[in-house]
Amino acid sequence: MKNDAPARPAPWKEPRYWRSLDELARTPPFQEWLQGEFPDGAQALEHPVSRRRFLEIMSASFLLAGLGLGGAGCRRPEEAILPFARIPEGYDHGVAEYYATAMPVRGSAIPLLVKTHEGRPVKIEGNPLHPQGRTGTDAFAQASILNLYDPDRLRRFTRQGQAVAPAAAIDFLASQAREWAERRGSGLAILEGRASSPSRERIERLLRRRYPEARWYIHEPIDLQIARASAAMALGQPLAPAYRMDLARRIVSFDADLLGTEEDAHRWIHQHARGRQLDDDGRDPARLYVLESLMTLTGANADHRLRLEPARIPAAAARLWWEVHRQAGWAADEESAALRALANSYADPNSWCAECARDLVESRGQCLVVAGHRQPMAVHLAAWSLNHRLGNIGRTVHVRPAPAAAEKEGLPELAASLRAGQVEALVILDGNPAYTAPADLDWRSAQRMARTVIRLAASEDETSAACDWQIPALHFLESWGDARTGDGTVTSVQPLIQPLFGGASGKDGGWTDLEFLARIGGLEEQRPREIVRQTIRELAGSGDAVRQWRQYLHDGFLAGSAPAPASPAWQPGAALECWHSAAGSLAAQAASPGLQVVFHRDYSVDDGRYINNGWLQEMPDPITKLTWENAILISPRTARLHKLAHFDRIEIALRGRTVEGPVWIQPGMADNTLGLALGYGRERTGRVGAGSGYNAYRLRTAAALHADTGAQIRLVRRPGKKDRIACTQDHGALEGRPIVREASLDQFRADPGLASGAMRIEAHRPPAASLYSHPPLTGLHQWGMAVDLNACVGCSACVLACQSENNVPIVGRGQVARGREMHWLRIDRYYAGPPDRPLDEQGDDPQVVFQPMMCQQCEHAPCEYVCPVNATVHDEEGLNVMAYNRCVGTRYCANNCPYKVRRFNFFDYHRRPLDRLYRGPLAPKAPDERDLIQWARNPDVTVRMRGVMEKCTYCVQRIQQAKIARKIAAGISGDIRVPDGAIVPACAEACPAEAIVFGDLSDPNSRVSVLRRQARCYRALEFLDVRPRTSYLARIRNPNSRMPDWHEHPWSLEDALRRREGGRPGQAEPAGRPEGGG
Amino acid sequence: MAALRSQPLVAPDPPAELARPPLILNRRGTAWISGKVSGIAEGRAPRWWWAAFLPSAGLTALCFAMIAYLVSTGIGVWGLDCTVGWAWDITNFVFWIGIGHAGTLISAILFLLRQPWRTSISRAAEAMTLFAVICAAIFPVIHLGRPWDCWWLFPIPNANAIWPQFRSPLTWDVFAISTYFVVSLMFWYVGMIPDLATLRDRARTRARKLVYGLLAMGWTGSIRHWRHYEKACLLLAGLSTPLVLSVHSIVSFDFAASLLPGWHTTIFPPYFVAGAIFSGMAMVLTLLIPIRTLCGLEDVITVLHIDRMGKVLLAAGSMVGYAYAIEWFTARYSGSPHEIFAWENRAFGPYAWAYWTMLACNAISPQLLWLRRVRRSMAAVFLLSIAVNVGMWLERFVIIVTSLHRDFLPSSWSYFRPTLVDIGTLAGSLGLFLTLFLLFIRFLPMIAMAEIKGAAARSGARAHGDPDPPGGLSG
Repeated sequence: MKNDAPARPAPWKEPRYWRSLDELARTPPFQEWLQGEFPDGAQALEHPVSRRRFLEIMSASFLLAGLGLGGAGCRRPEEAILPFARIPEGYDHGVAEYYATAMPVRGSAIPLLVKTHEGRPVKIEGNPLHPQGRTGTDAFAQASILNLYDPDRLRRFTRQGQAVAPAAAIDFLASQAREWAERRGSGLAILEGRASSPSRERIERLLRRRYPEARWYIHEPIDLQIARASAAMALGQPLAPAYRMDLARRIVSFDADLLGTEEDAHRWIHQHARGRQLDDDGRDPARLYVLESLMTLTGANADHRLRLEPARIPAAAARLWWEVHRQAGWAADEESAALRALANSYADPNSWCAECARDLVESRGQCLVVAGHRQPMAVHLAAWSLNHRLGNIGRTVHVRPAPAAAEKEGLPELAASLRAGQVEALVILDGNPAYTAPADLDWRSAQRMARTVIRLAASEDETSAACDWQIPALHFLESWGDARTGDGTVTSVQPLIQPLFGGASGKDGGWTDLEFLARIGGLEEQRPREIVRQTIRELAGSGDAVRQWRQYLHDGFLAGSAPAPASPAWQPGAALECWHSAAGSLAAQAASPGLQVVFHRDYSVDDGRYINNGWLQEMPDPITKLTWENAILISPRTARLHKLAHFDRIEIALRGRTVEGPVWIQPGMADNTLGLALGYGRERTGRVGAGSGYNAYRLRTAAALHADTGAQIRLVRRPGKKDRIACTQDHGALEGRPIVREASLDQFRADPGLASGAMRIEAHRPPAASLYSHPPLTGLHQWGMAVDLNACVGCSACVLACQSENNVPIVGRGQVARGREMHWLRIDRYYAGPPDRPLDEQGDDPQVVFQPMMCQQCEHAPCEYVCPVNATVHDEEGLNVMAYNRCVGTRYCANNCPYKVRRFNFFDYHRRPLDRLYRGPLAPKAPDERDLIQWARNPDVTVRMRGVMEKCTYCVQRIQQAKIARKIAAGISGDIRVPDGAIVPACAEACPAEAIVFGDLSDPNSRVSVLRRQARCYRALEFLDVRPRTSYLARIRNPNSRMPDWHEHPWSLEDALRRREGGRPGQAEPAGRPEGGG
Repeated sequence: MAALRSQPLVAPDPPAELARPPLILNRRGTAWISGKVSGIAEGRAPRWWWAAFLPSAGLTALCFAMIAYLVSTGIGVWGLDCTVGWAWDITNFVFWIGIGHAGTLISAILFLLRQPWRTSISRAAEAMTLFAVICAAIFPVIHLGRPWDCWWLFPIPNANAIWPQFRSPLTWDVFAISTYFVVSLMFWYVGMIPDLATLRDRARTRARKLVYGLLAMGWTGSIRHWRHYEKACLLLAGLSTPLVLSVHSIVSFDFAASLLPGWHTTIFPPYFVAGAIFSGMAMVLTLLIPIRTLCGLEDVITVLHIDRMGKVLLAAGSMVGYAYAIEWFTARYSGSPHEIFAWENRAFGPYAWAYWTMLACNAISPQLLWLRRVRRSMAAVFLLSIAVNVGMWLERFVIIVTSLHRDFLPSSWSYFRPTLVDIGTLAGSLGLFLTLFLLFIRFLPMIAMAEIKGAAARSGARAHGDPDPPGGLSG
């Protein structure tokens, strides 16, 4: 019978887990069945059909589409559910499968392990096998799953905006390729972004050979490549630097947001957390110095932070260089002479640089100096010079040979040749230049000068308007490809699902960049899988190619493909030249009048590429806690000077261009500086991203991509009712409450119990046990969690991991402004200023602390006893579990929750259209979007309807799966205790810092039990006697006592002690005193 | 017996300065009372009634429209957020429940305390109680996320075999309020039977005869009926009296049993009861002062009544004021920074406007009632009663919202702003209340005729030196 579901290929002799759908689809029986399905199916439907036959056809269709009917709601879903009539061999319905792949990002990639359910990718994890180690992921990677199921993706091949058949595009490109080949590619311009794919390099080489006269351009709106470019300049060959923040004892950052917006931030966060560890062997945590203008995540985690206007950072960096030079007693040479003028333009008023330099000199070979992508080359070279002179290269900063980048020009050159009429055909491979191009290029008109514009596009956007041909780009989860991770390892990108919009064969859904380039070049091999396979064969060298390929796909990387670190010699020539030429202009900039402006990469939407991703839009900015838009960041002092308040609409005028946006007063910002996040204010984008924020690109010129001077601001109007910004945290002070606890290293060494015991708020804890006798917790396991505040940097990857794992809905801007965000896990960010200073000045140089806050699983849970219907109850393993079906939504539990971690579904968020609030069951529904978005949901977790309360349960679904798996494995042995580490909640899995540890408290050797015995372990609000199962490990700062901003206590501790009656700083109670003490 | 009869006991008249003031002015006789009170329910509706009824009915429609919108769309149409889980919904609930206390207080406690002046106002106050409890009962249902599942709060055997959670104060609420409603309804209805019989007897149309006949349950006025009636009233009064105290105590447990600073307070039960009596009395005054004039009942609901209710208002207001002071004291005395903060935040935080308005309305304005002139001025008492109503609504708002909006973790602090639907629901519930009350005075005996005849005759007789009062209720 032709309509039988296809048999899967015979089982392989060896483990072969990483099989793709594509592979499956190429088997002859499948193809045969596929071809025959429609005629036969149609025929069968015409004849009298038996019920059984009908079910067979339908279930086969469902299998083909890979449609899983996940997401059952609290109530019975309305959709018809048809079971498999025949289950494919080797397929366990409901059991997730994992595939290794990678997410390419600019010049790097994030290795991933992706969970698929019924053929749908639903959850992204880091690939623990990868040589980079278990570094978790970042928020972008977690959220990328939503981009896959974005209903606003470009779905059709278009010509002049009209949909065409894919074949038309294929024919057109084939004829063009012949024409270009004849003309040796003259008149052809190819514009791309940064990519790390070896296959793409290889294809490009082939194209260059075929079209030697074609010109290649590169445009990356926020280019992080300068770290490599500076290494190449400083060390004389193409190199990629890799830092060892875990080994460096002293780290100085020149505006490098390593923990946030630099390339591979998740790696640096991982290393940073290791470097900050308080080991039993008495090794001190690393010390982090940051010079910056914005308040970044790195600055927020710094021990010492010097905030400066952007134009003064180069001078301060030079000053630091000079101080190191002076204190190390190095002889004057050409380098010192070259930097002298620049160094002198920063006076170092409180000898911040001098003391920082002393610390560096004292830890030679164990320190690290990094410059950020916003800094000019001179600063990068100064950092390299310091690293070289302090003996750090090869120790705390490694360099490895990178593939020599082919010569490519930038966007200004392309615009010039377009205007000169030299470009006949423009091929745009990545990005959205009409939106991201520097404002002074007038790119839109320039793009129209090309006769033909052919573009591979992920969505309809600003650039689409001036494109002749648009080819839908595949998402990386649908693509064959490859990439190099930051350490140089070749990593696989393989499809986990057929292209969503490509019909049954997936052929018409779009092209990958490899296929696109291959078609542009008219290459013989255009199938991306074969292209990648060829590349891997070349890279892997000798050996069993089939085996290697299989291993490569299984592991997700090509073992041993990372180049060994090089040890090139320092070559001062280029640096000297750069410093000589730049010193004058940099010194002049430092003295320039007017407000200064920093354009920065956004933590949520990157350079604008994630604007239509609801998860990222709703992810609170780690620092400002703003969602759904950007604001004009301004320091408290500057705001007072200009008489500005929060949300005031102001207009910025810079070099004759203006832009309008709301003011956000950001503590810790450099004075006289405006921080403008790029990526918002899109004119043409999907329904999610429309109308969010203002467009800072409109002020950005090619000459000043990262910072500019001479801005003027003008108040447009005071905020009205509609101007309220959706911010998830209104109040940033701790109010002297020891919720987040910290101590300085010296205090901690002298008195390890300081943070946990002596804050003395616990005096209000009731002396005796409660009157109510709680039922004993008798489960085999007793779950608990520990969160290390010393490791957490606030990056928010966990927030998105939780959202993705637990089907947490997005609520939209208006609802966030109403305080109804649904995140089960949030990161609280508090500022602490010097409490002895007037309130006005406390926001100038605040210390920042982050605290991940989720359900604490209280043993005496205050939410439980107030629920009238038993919807939230305790299980015997200590979890506070929710029965969503039982909840009627009194919200009493949320009121009584001291941590405010319960989230209420005020509307049917899961049923709302993309761009509107849910308007009740009778409101019209958009036809397809909901179905598509439902695919992103995790079928292991209930989708909650409106009117019910929801919250974190330590990923109870993962706990249950692990327990079931353990029971099956135990068999008759009866050993059903789940081993430590077998259960990793989504937040812990995503955390690059490994700050979140989950485990069994009844096992004294589990990681979480060990952490809970640490001296700095405490529980938030313990005096309420709710007995939370989550504990926190106090943060230990490591300030340098010689620095001008040194203070004995961290300010939050100082504030708490000052407010405590009789508790004067320095009179903290002795260590080891039990909390409370009755 | 015979000996007693032969020497009739004549109580001496009290001296003039000790004479009780008459409960019914102008020596109105029983026929006048029957005619006057029944007349309100019998004749054509006066113009003022329509003028009051139509807007009230409009507001009632608004109430139902708001509820329909709320239920179809979600609780999010109100201004609540994840920090402030309760705001106007529970404020309105406690406000209405509080108002529902005056009727039973007047009918039951004053009945047991033998205060005959209560008879003029008891029926209207009891009716007001019922209507207020109806208004109150709406809110716990519609404030649920899934109101269609509200029956899960009742101990109804079901297939899930899940019982309500008896540790939750919300479950206690269900029992307290439903008991209170049932007992109040019975008390009200039983007390009304003789008067319904009067209306039946006076009815001219067949429909009225039928309806009032059914409602009067065959009352003939026989001595057996009177005897049962008296016993039932006494028993129900005895049953109601603890309920007056318990219902609002249990409502206060919604807050007191939590661990939130500002809620977690042992003073709440007496404080809430005092507040409830206070607000209930104020609402009785708000309703009766205009009605007394509009229905021409100045002789029945006299200045004396208003004066005495003013005194109750003063006493309750002072108790409430004392509770406010004690709240401050306990917060300071506890030494707990969270408790101190909760109080300071109430008084000086973003909702300070609500706190000080509440204080002015509830604790300060009633002090004017020390003045006899104020107590006897209808306009002044009416204005004061309005102020107290506003103040008591604000009191619940202050307790609920200021405690919630800034609790333990500063990261979750928020500021509640009502939406139009919040406002519409409150206005609508007010409309529903007024509509029910207007229907009540239009169709049912608004004054307890039978009781007042007895009480009036007795006190009136005493006042006029008649040694043998005719008839009587408690003879």
